Parts: sequence; structure tokens; C-alpha cells
Amino acid sequence: MADNGGRPTTGFWRVTVQLVGAVGRAMSVTLRNLFRKPVTVHYPDVQRPYPDRFRGILALAYEKDTGEEACIGCRLCEYICPPQVIKVEMLKTAKRNYAKTFTLELYACEFCELCVQVCPTDAIIMMKSFDLAAADRRDLLLDKDRLHALGLQFEPSWATGNRLRDMQAPPKPAKAEARGEAKGEAKEPAE
Amino acid sequence: MTPAAWSAVEAFIVLNALLVLVAYVTLLERKFAARMQSRIGPYYVGRPHGWLQPIADALKLMMKEDIVPTASDRWVYNLAPIVFLLPCLLIFATIPFAPNLGVADLNIGVLFFLAVSSLEIVGLFMGGWGSNNKYALLSAMRAVNQIISYDLPFIFAALVPVLLAGSMQMSAIVAAQQGLWFVAYPVIGQLAFVAFLIATLAAENRVPFDILEAESELVAGFRVEYSGMKFALIQLGEYAHMLGTSFLAALLFLGGWLGPGPAALGPAWLLLKAILVFLVVTWVRWSFVRIRVDQILAISWKLLLPATLVLLLATGFVVAVRGAGGG
Amino acid sequence: MPETEITQVVELGYGGNERLMMNMGPQHPSSHGVFRMILTLEGETVVAVDAVIGYLHRCHEKLGETLTYVQYPSIASKTDYVAAMTSELAYVYAVEKIAKIEVPRRAQYLRVVAAELQRIASHCLWLGTWCLDMGGALGGGATVFLYCIREREMVLDRFEELTGARLLYGFHQVGGTRYDVPPGWDTKVRETIDFIEARLDEYEAMLEGNTFFTVRTRGVGVISRELAQEVGVSGPLLRGSGVGYDVRRAEPYSSYGDFDFVVPVETAGDCYARYRVRMVEFRQSIRIIRQALDGLPEGPISSRPGVKSVGQVRVPKGEGYARVEGARGEVGCYIVSDGGPKAYRMKWRGASFSNLAVLPHIIPGHKVADVVAIMGSVDPVFGEVDR
Repeated sequence: MADNGGRPTTGFWRVTVQLVGAVGRAMSVTLRNLFRKPVTVHYPDVQRPYPDRFRGILALAYEKDTGEEACIGCRLCEYICPPQVIKVEMLKTAKRNYAKTFTLELYACEFCELCVQVCPTDAIIMMKSFDLAAADRRDLLLDKDRLHALGLQFEPSWATGNRLRDMQAPPKPAKAEARGEAKGEAKEPAE
Repeated sequence: MTPAAWSAVEAFIVLNALLVLVAYVTLLERKFAARMQSRIGPYYVGRPHGWLQPIADALKLMMKEDIVPTASDRWVYNLAPIVFLLPCLLIFATIPFAPNLGVADLNIGVLFFLAVSSLEIVGLFMGGWGSNNKYALLSAMRAVNQIISYDLPFIFAALVPVLLAGSMQMSAIVAAQQGLWFVAYPVIGQLAFVAFLIATLAAENRVPFDILEAESELVAGFRVEYSGMKFALIQLGEYAHMLGTSFLAALLFLGGWLGPGPAALGPAWLLLKAILVFLVVTWVRWSFVRIRVDQILAISWKLLLPATLVLLLATGFVVAVRGAGGG
Repeated sequence: MPETEITQVVELGYGGNERLMMNMGPQHPSSHGVFRMILTLEGETVVAVDAVIGYLHRCHEKLGETLTYVQYPSIASKTDYVAAMTSELAYVYAVEKIAKIEVPRRAQYLRVVAAELQRIASHCLWLGTWCLDMGGALGGGATVFLYCIREREMVLDRFEELTGARLLYGFHQVGGTRYDVPPGWDTKVRETIDFIEARLDEYEAMLEGNTFFTVRTRGVGVISRELAQEVGVSGPLLRGSGVGYDVRRAEPYSSYGDFDFVVPVETAGDCYARYRVRMVEFRQSIRIIRQALDGLPEGPISSRPGVKSVGQVRVPKGEGYARVEGARGEVGCYIVSDGGPKAYRMKWRGASFSNLAVLPHIIPGHKVADVVAIMGSVDPVFGEVDR
């Protein structure tokens, strides 16, 4: 265990002193942490604050001005979903299209936010919560009514389709002016 | 009441108090370790600080299914927890809690303690062998190696206070510390105490010497095939042994029941000192990584054994000189 | 289907000559994932190692053919799930190479910040799990583990503010990144890395010079320089054996040439050398992040419009191989494209896959306890190995 085999007495004492020093250092670090505040968050009594962009449970939203369902049944989200958990059927009416049925299998969802990214009408959004534990997998097979209810139950996160696409778009001055408020929020530089 | 009946009652009381104490010492260790790791430890069972956690754990273990591997050596496997537990509980027979309060304050108290406590190795090996599991076998082989190697320095370090006090009776050793606790004895006391603590860590299979259970390699070592009540007995035995050596350290080195205040406070002081030793051992346990079995054996045979031997000889020399000088 | 001949039958039992064949894994606290090692032991010394992988195979390379270039970056994070940013970067970088897509400078700097923060988080996990393996789940190892995880959580909080997710981000897209920095983020990142730098001193105080630690790691698992180059290991394993090769220096990508950092090299080749390499990498990553944040240019974060449809990115016919310096070594992605929205063939070069190949050469001769120390210092992630 000694570094050099030359003069045993010196090696022994040097190693011993080094060992005692190392032991003291390590134990002092542990002792210091004994008096620090624990980092435990008492979930679910205490919730930690979730950031704006938190990717939580999916939900369907209503249009802000008319109160109608925002989803037009275009099925873009269905095509882009990597694990193919979304199934939509379109309902055509004279004025606009709706989604006749919209099922989302939350138990297989990857929470990648690609469906939110492509939605042209900001209909599908993610919430700032993940609290949807269930004892039966069928409770996580969300249908359209459930998705709309979830949209009203939790706080939505920042990201919607248009905001994300604006953030990612290469600058085009005319388009940027048109989406004034969204742009201001999305493109605020971090400096 | 006849002395025999009185002893039986005393033993019964001590055993029960011991079980409760061991249970709550596990809670203390978990909270202490948790705070060192920036977390809280048991909290919800018996809010707000997990006071009922040990009871919940005991109940859970009692209700668990007792799984016995088909290919295990039946008699050896089933007897191992009991053979392991008995010596660990028996050592408390010789520990006096106050000058006249103890089950059996033998005049060879220290010898009895050291001899009986090393019997646990039999139970340990029985457990490892009877489980018919390669991990358990590996662990049992390491255990035999390690505990036998460290028993010698353990004994030598424990003999230093015996020499200084001139008696193996525990109450006599404490009485001899009236003036100066043996841990404060210049040089010899401190070195003996440190050697005793290191040997304790190894004899208890505590990190950095816990190669025999090494959760990350052998997944609980010799205990791996035990479940339910048998596992509870093994855990009980381990912690009881741990506590027993803490009590021994408190008696031999830290002055036992001596302390300011009335004599009736004696047992409280003893308990406090034993818990203090236990916490120091826990502190070491949660600060270091473990070392390999051949390195553990190297430390014992090349470092600790010669050192404690020299220490014992030096103590003998000091005692002889002091005795000759009329001390 | 033709009968395949079984070339090797490994029998578990007593292999004669007082040898014991012991199974370590696939379910084992220290196998860092699902990994099976069949160890042949003589007493406590390992005489031979038979490594079995494939328990985590999830057909990534097939997924690369069925998912489009728009969908796959979110899935790419699942190969090396501990260092997800670098995995995604390898994929999008390969696509950008073939299609010759220019990435705006702001996006390049953001990618660098993300990759280096990810390296810090991954090394925190490495140190924690390595000490956990060596020190026991109920012992000093757990203490170091919880400290490292406490620091890693801070980095994950920063990623959560940036992308919304903590482990599998979907941050990269072909042409740039998907997310820009939220307001106040870079101040928080600076605070985080200052805090972590201070805590690194604490870890080093606990481990460095600690005889218990050094006897476990010095002289253990020595990979000689020749062996390292012959087997094809990369990353800290290679740099710990004396070869100063870092993809960020050899073939700078994503503006790594703009940053000033040291590539640590140690010559001993043992576990301790690899530990030192990674500890220096911690500090160098912090240095790079500071430089990147100081010089973060304005501008767009992507040179392609945001994803609106699943077949949006079409890559002309060609093939390309992109490699990045992940936390574990060289992560490479080789794509053959046929002009459509999906790759024709995609292959991952997993860093851990090549690194694991060195195990049968270095483990024999050591004790069982050294096996976990060596596995920890090799730091495999089985998502990369089995894909």
C-alpha cells in the first residue's frame, strides 16, 4: 500500500498521514452536507413550479374568439406522430371542418411535441402538468371529450403550433409584423 | 424472588428493550444518512418524522411470504438465521448498564463478549452455504476471510483497556475510568480507540469493509435468498451486534456510565455514548467507497495486526512501569 | 429457413479445475443497463469474460427507415438516453451533411451549449453511478450518487426551461434547433455552472487522494495504447490511454473551432486515468459554455421553416457519415438517402458498443470487485449498444 518500497518507515508514515487526511476531508464533506437544507420537494403536497414550456398532458383547445373547437380534423398530427398514437376522423360541414372523432393513446405517447408543432390552428396543446396516473390503461385512452376537458382542467404550457413555427422560422419581416404579440414572446433574445 | 427468577426477568426486560432499541437505531441511521445526502429519510409513516417506520417495517417483514429455494440445504438454510442471531443477542448478557444493573456482570466479561461475538461467523457461513446460490457462497467465503482476519486486531484493541484497568470485568473497567477515560489516555488510548473502531467496521461488515454484502456486486451477499421473518432475524442480528460493539466501545473507552449528574443518570449516559459511537461508525459508512477483499485482508494482516500488537505490548510496558512506580 | 449452427455453447456450472462460472446480469445492480456477463472465476479472480448484449434492442435502424427526417430526431435521443442531445446532433448533422444544409450560427452556438450542458449532466450521472457501484447502495457510494444527482437535476431544470422535457428532448431539427432560449435562461445557466464548479471541488475532496478510492481504481482495468487503438474505443477511454483524439478537435463541427478548450489526456490507461479525464472534461465543458453564452450571436435558430408536415424535409440522393463527440465517445450516424422524405438506410455507430468490446481483454486477471469498477469507468449506456 505504500508508494515506495524503499525505506519502509517513511512510506508507512507518509501513507498513514495521507490516509488520515483523505478520511478527514471526505468525512468533512459529508458533515457539511448534514447541515445543508435537504433538496426534497414534498410532492404531491408541494408542487414545484413548472417552467412555461413544460411538455405535459395533451389536450384539445377551443378558439379564443368564437369558443368553437379549434380542431379542423386535418390529420396533420396523426401523420407526424412517431408512435402513431393519434387517430382522427374528419367531419366536413358547409362552413368549416371538424374532427368527428379524435383519440389519443396517452399511454404510448412520447411527449415529443411534434403534433403541437404542426397543428395549423393551435388546436392540440400540452399542459403544464403530468398528473394523470391511472390504474387502468384504458383510462389513458383519451377521446375527444376527455381531451377538451383536460384542456380546461390544467394550465396550458406556452407552446402552440404557430408560436413554435414562428420561433423556428428564418426571419421574414412581413410575416413577423403580422404576428406581433406571438413574435414578441417567442423571439425575445436571451441576452 | 429467587436470584434465578430475578435473572430471568432481567434478561426478558433487557431483550425486549434491546429489540425496541435496535428498531429505532435503524431509524436513526436512516435519518442521519439521509440528512448527509441532502434528503429527508422516512417521513410519512408516523408524521412528521417517520416515528412509526420501524414498526411498519417489522410488521411488513412478518407478513411476507417465506420463500425457501428448492435446492437449498434445508436444515442449514433454516437454522442459519437463528445461529446468526443468538450470539448477537447473547453479548448483551454481559453488558452492565449501571454499577449493579446488568444480566450477568461476569468477571471475564470482556472475554465472554469477544468470544461469543465471533460465533456469528458460523451462522453467516451457514446462511451462505445453505442458500445454494453462487453469490451467497462467494459472499460467505469472503466473510469467513474477513471476520477471522479482523477478530485478532479487534481483540487486541479491546485488551488495551483491560490491561489499563487490570480486570476483565466490565464494571471494574468503568470504575477504573473514574479519573480519566481511557480514550483520553495519552497516545495509547486514542490509538487503541481508533484501532477498535476500524476493527469494528470490519467485524460488522460496514463500508468500507462491506465487501461481503457489496450490494452492487453480490446483491446482499449471504442474505440474498432469505425473505420475510428470516431476513428480519438476520437484520436484527446485524444491528444488535453493531449496537453491542458500540456499547462495548462506550464501556471500554468512553467511561461507560460515568458522567456529570446523579448516579441514576448513568444508564442514560451509557446509551448516549453508545449511540455516539454508532453515529461515528455510520458517518464513516456513508462517506466512503468500499475496498476489495484482498485489500481488506492486506490492511488487517499487514497494518492493523502488527499495530495493535505493538500497542498491546506498549500498554503492558506502561502498566508495568506505572505499577512499579506505585500507581 | 436454414438451420444456423450454434458455434459456442456456454454452460453454467462448475467448469472443472475449481472454476466457477457466474452470471452477472442482465438484471444486476451494476450492469448499467441490461447486460449479461458470464464470468469464469477461479476463486475470486476472473479468468474469462463472455459478454452478451442485445437485451435492449429496439430496432432504431429500422425506425430510421420508416420515420421521416422530421420525425426521427425526437427518437434519436433514445439511443444514448443519458446524453440525448449529442445523439440527436449526430443524426441531424448527418442529414445536413448530405443535403448540404447550412445551419445558422446562433443555432450552432445553441447546439454547443446544449451538448456541453449534456456532457456535464452525463458525467454527473457517470460519477454517481460509478461510486454507487463501488461503494454500495447503502454506503458512501450512495452519498456521492445523491450529490451528483442533485447537481444533475439542476442541469435538467435548465433543459426543462429550454425545451419542456427533462431527459429526451427533441431539441434538434434538420437545419437548426427547435427551441430558442427563453428570457433569463442564460443567467440561470451561468448560475448553475458556477454552482456545479464549486461542487466539483467537493467531489474531488471526497475522492481524490482518498486511499480507499485510489486502491480501487489505480492499476485496475489498464487499457494499453495499442489495445485502445486496435479495438476502436473512443472518448475518455481513448484519452485515458494516451491518445489525444477528440472529434471536437479532429473534425470541428457546429462551430467548435471558435472555442478555446483543453482536451485532457492521461497516459496510465487505468480507471483512475479515465476518472481524471472526465473530471477535467467537466471543467472544460463549463469553460465552453461560458464562451458560447458570451458570444451567442443573434439570428434565426433554423435555416429551414418550422415543421408543418411530415414529409417536409427531402434530402437528395447521397450518403453521409457524421460523428460527434458524445459523453461516451464518438457517436456516429451514417445515412443513405434516396431522395425521399425518409432515409433509405441509417446506421448508428454507438460509442458504448465499441467501448464494450474492450472488456474481454482487460477484465481477465482482476478480481470480481474490479469488474464493477471497470464497468463503471467504461460507462456504457445500453441504448447505444443495442440500439
